[in-house]
Amino acid sequence: MNKPLLEVQDLRVHFPIGGGLIGKPRAWVRAVDGVSFSVPRGTTFGIVGESGSGKSTTALAVMRLVRHTGGSIRLDDDDIGTLEGDALRQARRRFQMVFQDPYASLNPRKRAGDAVREALDLMAYGEPQARPARVAELFAQCGLRPEQQRLFPHQFSGGQRQRIVLARALAANPELLVCDEPVSALDVAIQAQILNLMQRLQKALGLTYLFISHDLGVIRHMCDQVAVMYLGVIVEQADRESLFARPLHPYTLALWSAAPSFDPAARGRAQRIRLQGDPPSPIDIPPGCRFAGRCPVAQARCHTDAPLLREVLPGHRIACHRVSDNGKPDYELAATIG
Amino acid sequence: MTARDPMPGTSQESPLLEVDGLSVEFQTRDGVARVLESISFSLARGQTLGVVGESGCGKSMTALALMRLIPQPPGRIVAGQMRFEGIDLLGLSDAAMREVRGNRVSMIFQEPMTSLNPVFNVGEQIAEAVRLHQRLDRRAARERAIEMLEAVGIPAARKRVDDYPHQFSGGMRQRVMIAMALACNPSVLIADEPTTALDVTVQAQIFDLISDLRSRTGTAVILITHDMGAIAEMADRVAVMYAGRIVEEGSTADVLANPLHPYTRGLIACAPGRRTATHGEPLEEISGTVPSLLERGAGCAFADRCREVMPKCRIGLPAETRLAQGKRRVLCWLHADASVPGAGGAS
Repeated sequence: MNKPLLEVQDLRVHFPIGGGLIGKPRAWVRAVDGVSFSVPRGTTFGIVGESGSGKSTTALAVMRLVRHTGGSIRLDDDDIGTLEGDALRQARRRFQMVFQDPYASLNPRKRAGDAVREALDLMAYGEPQARPARVAELFAQCGLRPEQQRLFPHQFSGGQRQRIVLARALAANPELLVCDEPVSALDVAIQAQILNLMQRLQKALGLTYLFISHDLGVIRHMCDQVAVMYLGVIVEQADRESLFARPLHPYTLALWSAAPSFDPAARGRAQRIRLQGDPPSPIDIPPGCRFAGRCPVAQARCHTDAPLLREVLPGHRIACHRVSDNGKPDYELAATIG
Repeated sequence: MTARDPMPGTSQESPLLEVDGLSVEFQTRDGVARVLESISFSLARGQTLGVVGESGCGKSMTALALMRLIPQPPGRIVAGQMRFEGIDLLGLSDAAMREVRGNRVSMIFQEPMTSLNPVFNVGEQIAEAVRLHQRLDRRAARERAIEMLEAVGIPAARKRVDDYPHQFSGGMRQRVMIAMALACNPSVLIADEPTTALDVTVQAQIFDLISDLRSRTGTAVILITHDMGAIAEMADRVAVMYAGRIVEEGSTADVLANPLHPYTRGLIACAPGRRTATHGEPLEEISGTVPSLLERGAGCAFADRCREVMPKCRIGLPAETRLAQGKRRVLCWLHADASVPGAGGAS
């Protein structure tokens, strides 16, 4: 593939707990703890994981909305991880974000057209007199009618609001769109509308997506490359075909088999991997593999040595002691994959 | 309008819960809104009925009506019957209804944090239900609470019974809710989107728990969800709701294998990432949104979003069509003439 548009190296986001202004923090929340990936231009990179896995924090760090405590973020030739002040504001034209909740991410007192127009004004996009035409174009691209520019957010349904959010994010013609659970708050029928719209926009505008979701179905439909995160680290990463055809990490398998299948005949409980308990806290990260405590096939060394993320098959990286260097798992887990 | 067995007591096995022609209206500033229209279904002992549909289709309203928890005014049950173990629920006094609610019919809600009281420990909250309904003394009620926490898989239940809701994770809180709901051995458990706020691995645990408790205690379950996957996983029968009506009902296997109503087909087809879906191809969409309550005319409320809409769809609704010896029904002109003469209703 061509040169990546987004390249994230060893990203770390640690939040201090306690300590106040001058005191030493009592502890650190290691929300993102050494994450690396790269996203080729025009493709979609998905991050999937449960709450607390660090997927949203990764998105916010890439957007420069939380301070990363280590690692680098490069967009094309720009080191956006080190930009500050006006330089960062200028660079923001190139990367924009879509949040989960379209009810919360639109100002209720601003008309839909003005919300999009404001983005153009703030980023000084094009000549002021050309901006109304640009707003109209964005509305059309996102499947909104021109007269809807005059309406307020409460007059729209959730799906339409997400269209406004998309129009606003696309205002300054960004290259990268970071989408944090963009359809999770929507009804399933509306989800399909927004996902289709996002795919059409990607094709038409050559967009690159960093796509965060907890929903494996959505990830499978949208993404070219997928990373599975658990407790701040990537445990498995591959292109869509190999990840869904041959998931290697026990956590990926468990995630898959937990997702309800549409086939009532596949209700065979015995074939399901059931994880016990919840993910551990990102404050007291256990030594060894972070998943070991819930892993159905963990061995003694899994609790002491942290496995490294390594490439075991072309393009397929995994962090698990129980998978050999040539991509053969030495465990048996019968998982039904729907 | 649905013709059900007219002579109660003559049938071989009367259903545990039978709802017939239930309609609910709300008085609003802009007029009267029909939120439920002729809802009919029955639930057998130990069965799981899934109720599926988008937001605003009346799923939760159906649950609230069953529990007689519709705020009145502005809401009002204007027609229909609800019979539970042979008792007419609508005819009960408020006091008698309280004996049923939380005791023989109980409910778990979507948000475990907002439905637990943060200032009481979980043990007291479970024990309260048992003390009120089963007249157990404090000590016995506390033992029952511990027993229930163990039954729903809370580790070290004897220690955790004195913990407060904030000391539990989301999945654990939902377990506490289930423990509370099942403490009085209800015959019916209504679960309104019980796993929406939870992670998939925790959702799987909760589903396993509900299935397991159901098979041990014989509690019938009404599972309300917007997720067809959850229906496939859990439900024996499924009722698809749209704009306040049940538009299709049948066994889960039949409905998923051969959905009849275009809305059901859309709900199944639009789910992303299924085996059959190919990457890069657009998903099936159901265009538009659920019409608002006051915009529902005489015709089919789905007409504006339906791909197979016909002129008559906008004028009126057909009678319900019954298929498979009455085990399946659908409310759609596409199937209106497939009805067995005499069983559905000649139009």
